[in-house]
Amino acid sequence: MRSRSLAPTIYLIAFVVGGVLMGFEMLGSRYLFPYFGGGIGTWASLISTVLCALAVGYFAGSAIVDRYPSQRAIGAAILVAACWLALVPATADAIMQTILDHIGDGAAATLSASTALLLVPLSLLGTFSPLAVSLLTRSANEAGRVAGLVYGVSTIGNVAGTLLTTFILIPSVGSRNITYIFAVMLALCAGLLFVTPARPPTKV
Amino acid sequence: MVFIRSMLLGAFAGALLGIGTASAGNERLLESRESLYNNIYVYERPPYVIMTFGHNKQLYTETVFDTGDDRALPVPYTRLMTAALMYAKNVHSILEIGFGGGRVAWYLHRFLPDVRVTSVELDTAVLELSRKYFGITDEPNFYLDSRDGRVFLAQSKDKYDIILIDAYRGPFVPFHLMTKEFYQIVRDHLGEGGVVMQNVDPDTMLFDSAVKTIGAVLPQIEFYKTNDNSDDNIVTVAYDGPERKADDLAAVASERDKALGLRYPLTEMLAVRRHVDLNDTQTISAKAAVLTDDFAPVETLKAIERHNRKLP
Repeated sequence: MRSRSLAPTIYLIAFVVGGVLMGFEMLGSRYLFPYFGGGIGTWASLISTVLCALAVGYFAGSAIVDRYPSQRAIGAAILVAACWLALVPATADAIMQTILDHIGDGAAATLSASTALLLVPLSLLGTFSPLAVSLLTRSANEAGRVAGLVYGVSTIGNVAGTLLTTFILIPSVGSRNITYIFAVMLALCAGLLFVTPARPPTKV
Repeated sequence: MVFIRSMLLGAFAGALLGIGTASAGNERLLESRESLYNNIYVYERPPYVIMTFGHNKQLYTETVFDTGDDRALPVPYTRLMTAALMYAKNVHSILEIGFGGGRVAWYLHRFLPDVRVTSVELDTAVLELSRKYFGITDEPNFYLDSRDGRVFLAQSKDKYDIILIDAYRGPFVPFHLMTKEFYQIVRDHLGEGGVVMQNVDPDTMLFDSAVKTIGAVLPQIEFYKTNDNSDDNIVTVAYDGPERKADDLAAVASERDKALGLRYPLTEMLAVRRHVDLNDTQTISAKAAVLTDDFAPVETLKAIERHNRKLP
């Protein structure tokens, strides 16, 4: 019974985290363009940083999943990401300006800027999927089905986050406020993980 | 440089310029180039060479060059960009953001060879093509730099008497070149008595926000627009301090016309000058908001046409 209560929560969070992840990538352009221009180079830096962060997150998730296969581990990762996002609006301009002053505006600079902005929080969010798959998998023959569902839901979240951020949020709310909204959404996800009852340990 | 208006592929700039509209087949593609930023097409339509950017199966004219006369400015609004010369207290250095085929910068360089003219162009391919087809050569006092206009200013400590902004890429201006923070950087690079000139497309609600944003940083705003409908674009003049009197401007205009021997006399441009009251909702919509780095919905504003509004 208790394991059933966990699955919807995990999928809901997979969707929200996926949405925030891509939404924040789109927002990253609004933070970077004023300092480094709006060309394809800036986009390449943003996209590659996001994918690097996901790779880091997946590897980190797979490394810690056997030691800390708990909701608390995922919740903590999401909470730290939320805190990081909450700090972005107040600090981003100073950081971007420092990078512009010291590194300039080339590829090294746009990569540094997108790394400073995105790498830590998105890596933390990247740990979600492997941990979630592990939490929802009760037997080895379920693994593929669960992984497919988690990644599918998360990717739909990616799509929703990209489109909503670009076409609804950026034209109607400021970039800084959107960042705060994302931080709050992540914090709520973390809270949900902390309060949802855990399922009993998998019987071997 | 940049932008007249969109036209269906093949139709072309001629219609606007009175270069002859019937012979749409007259132009010959000299070169097309897919650069990092644009799809660039250079057409020849004797005696003109035309640079266009392709977007959405439409061509947006960026530059028209009269190959027989490198001091001609065939596109009407580009002549009005030079009205800056009667506003600037001193004319020692000029900056242009958005070079394109470089007609305005080159015109100013030709008539003011002692003045340092710098132009910043994002797209290196555009600079290459301007040298190849648009008569641009390396000369003393004429400087080209390939980078984003805002990045250039943020890294520069120089001041300029005139800053010309014409950074259209097809139909779009990047949002970070339209915000209050951008104009604050621009103002910080203006010398004493300096002036900012900007080409603005008045067809959409973005115009209202753009003008209001400039006005939030440089309080005096004036419009120049051709009075024969030959060009829809509005050239916006912005400066600090008290409003310039028409008589004072006329005096400077006539003095500089004589001293510089300008092809397009400043004194004639005064006829299409209009001072703008930003609080006049007939001109600038009351709903228009100042654009900031935080909130600049340029794509959305661009999508709203200005219906039947009284144009300045």
